[in-house]
Amino acid sequence: MSSIQTDPTLVGTPAGGGRPRRQRDRYAYQNTAIALGLVAVLVTAIIGVQIGTSGATFVNVLETFWGKITGVVPTDRAVLQVQTVIWELRVPRVLLAIFGGAALAVAGTLFQGLLRNPLVSPYTLGIAPAAAFGASLAIVIFGATAGSATISLVIGALLFSFLNTALVLSLASTRNLNPTSLILVGIALSQLFGALTACIQYFAEDEILAAIVRWTWGSVNNSAWYQVLVLLVLLGITFPYIRFRSGALNAIAFAGDDSAKTLGVAVSRVRLESIAIAATLTAVTIAFTGIIGFVGLVAPHIARLVVGSNHRFLTTFSAIIGALLLVVSDAVGRLVISPGVIPVGIIDALVGAPIFLYLILTRQKAIE
Amino acid sequence: MTLTIDSLVVGYGKREVVKGATLDVSKGELVGLLGSNGSGKSTLIKTIAGINRHTRGTITWNGGTDLANLPRRELAKIVAYVPQSIGLSFALDIKEAVLLGRTPYFGTKPRDEDWQHVEAAMRLLGLDELGDRNVTELSGGQGQRVLIARALAQDPEILLLDEPTSALDIRYQWQTLSVAREVTRKNNVAGVIAIHDLNQAARFTDRVVFLHDGEVIGDGRPADVYSPELIKRVYGVDVEISTYKGFAQVHPLSERAEHLLRTPPVAPAYTPVFAEARLELHA
Ligand SMILES: Nc1ncnc2c1ncn2[C@@H]1O[C@H](COP(=O)(O)OP(=O)(O)OP(=O)(O)O)[C@@H](O)[C@H]1O
Ligand SMILES: [Mg+2]
Repeated sequence: MSSIQTDPTLVGTPAGGGRPRRQRDRYAYQNTAIALGLVAVLVTAIIGVQIGTSGATFVNVLETFWGKITGVVPTDRAVLQVQTVIWELRVPRVLLAIFGGAALAVAGTLFQGLLRNPLVSPYTLGIAPAAAFGASLAIVIFGATAGSATISLVIGALLFSFLNTALVLSLASTRNLNPTSLILVGIALSQLFGALTACIQYFAEDEILAAIVRWTWGSVNNSAWYQVLVLLVLLGITFPYIRFRSGALNAIAFAGDDSAKTLGVAVSRVRLESIAIAATLTAVTIAFTGIIGFVGLVAPHIARLVVGSNHRFLTTFSAIIGALLLVVSDAVGRLVISPGVIPVGIIDALVGAPIFLYLILTRQKAIE
Repeated sequence: MTLTIDSLVVGYGKREVVKGATLDVSKGELVGLLGSNGSGKSTLIKTIAGINRHTRGTITWNGGTDLANLPRRELAKIVAYVPQSIGLSFALDIKEAVLLGRTPYFGTKPRDEDWQHVEAAMRLLGLDELGDRNVTELSGGQGQRVLIARALAQDPEILLLDEPTSALDIRYQWQTLSVAREVTRKNNVAGVIAIHDLNQAARFTDRVVFLHDGEVIGDGRPADVYSPELIKRVYGVDVEISTYKGFAQVHPLSERAEHLLRTPPVAPAYTPVFAEARLELHA
């Protein structure tokens, strides 16, 4: 047990005195972890692009990118075909997994911190059931297989995700956006949209029903370049804001609303803006992929176990873990029953759960 | 050079909780805020800290600065607040927890100066000896010391403490109050401490202010203010007041409790209720 030093000579010198320790390397570990994580994402991405029914070598991948940069189109038909598969199917697929995983993980981190609750996921406020309802509605209206189905699905899911978020925020703002109200309103709306989707499913024909269920599994099978670009732009815009707010997020997450206010943080404003961002990241991602569970809940925890809880590093590292989790899961999903594909939303839970358990249990040991 | 609170009215919804409180606190002075449960101590402190908004009255610093109209970040550089308790949801190491106190001063990245404040505050509260432990692994008292260190790292001119000693054993109560005492004196900070223990208030504060139903009904040196009448009015308790080493000390009187203490225990007899219950069981 330590004792408080009440030596008067120490009290008068809040800023000076004592050994001047260099704090610069205090975060060396976190920075290294982030650098290594980025390398890992790159490596798994390159491997992920090579996996598939028509094999592609590392050289093929390099040639494809070189060709895109220089604008040279290969004359050999076989080479052209391989390059088309890589560029039109594999690369957007892998990139959608990376950016989608990153977006869901960042959203999860934000929600957990802002609501001060480790059990919260990007779906806690009801975005997933709302998106599912929007997508189901689109499937019913436009048919399960129509050519325009994909874009109408995206729009349907987005529309209802945003409607849901607007409802949650405006209802909870009557209670000052306090975490409990937000979660309760989210639960209520989840139930509501869940019931509405169930109604559709109850009356739908088999084909429609199958399409709805397929959507809710969540996959990157229908990836397209525009989706990758939209997510990239979205992450590019929001990430600087999230980093800029890391101090405020720390104060809200670790000191609580009242104390955060006395630390100079505009709590309601930061919470509103950050929830809007997290909800947008979630909504856009699942509009493209369907509901990919688990990653948004667990990536932040895995990241926390590795780099600690400081949001300055946590959001970045969560994004890396989320990206890794989905890229690896998608690769595994394409390998196990090749040429069939298991949706990434199923695999990520199968791959992620053991990793998560391992980390929790080994960490527990370290404490005891 | 004072914190001046004038005719302050604060309420929750329509209900007024602080009803026109007036008091001032000079730099270097520690003022004890006393009053029964629900008398409005925490509400008053939170209003000075900028958590609650007041409906009437003024809070000024150094004669001119209207604290209520200061931007949050600027207010946070003047006023630090130690809450009554803290709930923790995520593990954070002690140093990071104290670093939160520097939030109003740095952007994304703490500077060397910020770390110096953190280390000085940790040393002052004996936290450096707890190492890199997580705040979730600390006892209530250790956690309380982290909160106080966080407030000191904030380098405030006004320090508000809301019952900082409630969770502490007598040694840490003593040491925490000593730290509050010394920080206010040596760093020339205006201190306000809500505290329930009248005797400790008498020993560690320069002045006490009694809050009763949202109004100030006593203000002055403990030895001058403490009286059986005032304490009866605030707490509804009869007391006797003595002096110990020059400090006023309060002793509650309870003839009934003293009588019971002197009464030896007697063997319990069957009461009719018990007897009837027995009969029913056998029937
Ligand atoms: N957030 C709130 N909403 C509504 N009423 C509140 C709120 N906080 C406190 N009150 C009420 O205001 C009154 C004063 O409460 P306050 O917490 O200021 O008392 P206190 O003097 O700090 O009491 P204690 O000694 O128990 O800490 C109480 O009647 C309480 O019920
Ligand atoms: Mg109180």
